[in-house]
Amino acid sequence: MVDDQPGKLLSYEAILGPLHENLLKANSGREALEYLLKADIAVVLMDVSMPDIDGFQLADMIREHPRFQKTAIIFISAVHLSDVDRLKAYERGAVDYISVPVIPELLRAKVTVFAELYRKTQQLEGLNRELERRVAERTEELRESESQFRSLANSIPQLAWMTHPDGSIFWYNQRWYDYTGSTFEDVKGWAWKTLHHPDCLEEVIRKFQHCLATGEAWEDTFPLRGKDGNYRWFLSRALPIHDVNGKIVRWFGTNTDITDRKLAEEALIKSERLAAMGRLAGIIAHEINNPLEAISNAFYLLRDHPSLDEEARYYSKLAEEELARVAHITKQTLSFYRESQRAIPISLAEVLDNVIELQSRSLHVNSVALEKRFQTQGKIQGYPGELKQVFLNIIGNAVQAMPNGGRLRIGLRESTARKNGRRGMRVTVCDTGVGIRREHAKRLFEPFFSTKEAKGTGLGLWISRGIIQKYEGSIRFRSIVLAGKNTTCFSVFIPTTAATQPTEIAALVA
Amino acid sequence: MGEHKAVILCVDDEQNPLTLRKLVLQKAGYEVVTANSGKEALELAASRRVDLVLSDHLMPGMHGTELAQQLKAEHPKLPVILISGVNELPPGSAIANAFVSKSEGPDALCKEVAAILNLPLETCEK
Repeated sequence: MVDDQPGKLLSYEAILGPLHENLLKANSGREALEYLLKADIAVVLMDVSMPDIDGFQLADMIREHPRFQKTAIIFISAVHLSDVDRLKAYERGAVDYISVPVIPELLRAKVTVFAELYRKTQQLEGLNRELERRVAERTEELRESESQFRSLANSIPQLAWMTHPDGSIFWYNQRWYDYTGSTFEDVKGWAWKTLHHPDCLEEVIRKFQHCLATGEAWEDTFPLRGKDGNYRWFLSRALPIHDVNGKIVRWFGTNTDITDRKLAEEALIKSERLAAMGRLAGIIAHEINNPLEAISNAFYLLRDHPSLDEEARYYSKLAEEELARVAHITKQTLSFYRESQRAIPISLAEVLDNVIELQSRSLHVNSVALEKRFQTQGKIQGYPGELKQVFLNIIGNAVQAMPNGGRLRIGLRESTARKNGRRGMRVTVCDTGVGIRREHAKRLFEPFFSTKEAKGTGLGLWISRGIIQKYEGSIRFRSIVLAGKNTTCFSVFIPTTAATQPTEIAALVA
Repeated sequence: MGEHKAVILCVDDEQNPLTLRKLVLQKAGYEVVTANSGKEALELAASRRVDLVLSDHLMPGMHGTELAQQLKAEHPKLPVILISGVNELPPGSAIANAFVSKSEGPDALCKEVAAILNLPLETCEK
């Protein structure tokens, strides 16, 4: 309450007393300003005509201060036309006026309105400050959880990514970039397609788009190309992230490398297949050999039985010869798993002849011409079964490489190891088949590497090398691919001295 | 060989192969007695003179290797040959003096028998 006349101040105090507000009295504009600076003022009630600083001047000064721009002002004035005009200038903001004589109810009503407005404003500002504090807190929490998410996403062994609802990817974790060697620009949106195997891509996209459309969790297994250019297999999953209304806002996906698991599973299946082959061979050997022995014995007894005439003896002899062939075949193929317990002297020429005989049918079917050049009958110490297996693998591969015919040259000679001059034997197997592609060459001795698709176990050359290494020998190859003049040669060197133990094929496979 | 024909005990659970093996060995000049099981073979070996036992490996009840073990325990010097349709050496077969595959044929069998009995090979080729 600002008025130069103390009596008026007292009358205002009497009128406003029942409102139970905090009333301050100022006798001049200057005093009023001092109060304003010291305390929070809800309403300024002032007389327009005051000496020193009049009401309008005081109002202007109040308004100049940023803190008081919204402070309510009620002018008390005898109504002059000029005053009304000036009052209009204050239309904006909390300004009102009341004319003399002051009607107590009216003054109380106006002050009450402004006091309430002030309190509400104070409350709102409090709420606003609280809201701002909470927003700041949540922002900090989000920033923290975002940074936790990123460090989690980068520490998991999986490749991870996020997509928009339409499936276009907007974020990958660091592992993705490390594995693929790509940048975000290379793979953003749908550009990751370039890292898929062309044979699988269409199916991958079909399944993924089905899940995008239905909102079902996505799961698929496919190869992805790494930065070294090789593909590895990944089990991939993605889950939709929903907002509070259940709408999908993004997808979060991972790719887990399962190549080793897949290889181990395949290895297991293959070693089981080998074991089953072994069991089957044993069963067949038993089932055929039992009656075979009895029949062979019967013909042996019949051979020069006195009751037989010339013709019957001839038939008997034919039967015995054919029987010998059956016995020979079972012995050759089914005794494959039999192994001597000690290293014995072995003629490699005999082993090679043996293998050639087993391959004779394939040689004939594939129209392969055989050139044999054995320059030694010398022996080495070893185990015939496993050596037979080595050359069956190498010669078998050579024959299979010539489905449209060709020439197979098998050589055997005495030799010395290039590395240390050790004496031994060298077997060379050369074919004119399809040749070995450069990209296959370095992987040829890897386990489970096969160029024969489902027909190969991918173990043959790996086992062969294991066996030859046990003999402290070496196995090498060279393949020249020239139009119409392909030559692939395998060279196996085996030292003459004995190997110490038979190779456990099962252990090699495991 | 005259009055001292070597006596071979042939053991097999299957009758036809047993009979034919016996005839082959008889033709080669041996005296042959037969048994249809390991148990019967042990009884025979205990009750009469036997110079060599030729036993099938896979038999119901007592396997050839088991029979060989028991024979060796009771008659340490009695040679035992195992014959089998299985091409793999069965575990424990090392106790026998020899292991012959059935796919080898009668000549190979006779050679093995003659070698173990230390007889000249001609015995077989009579």
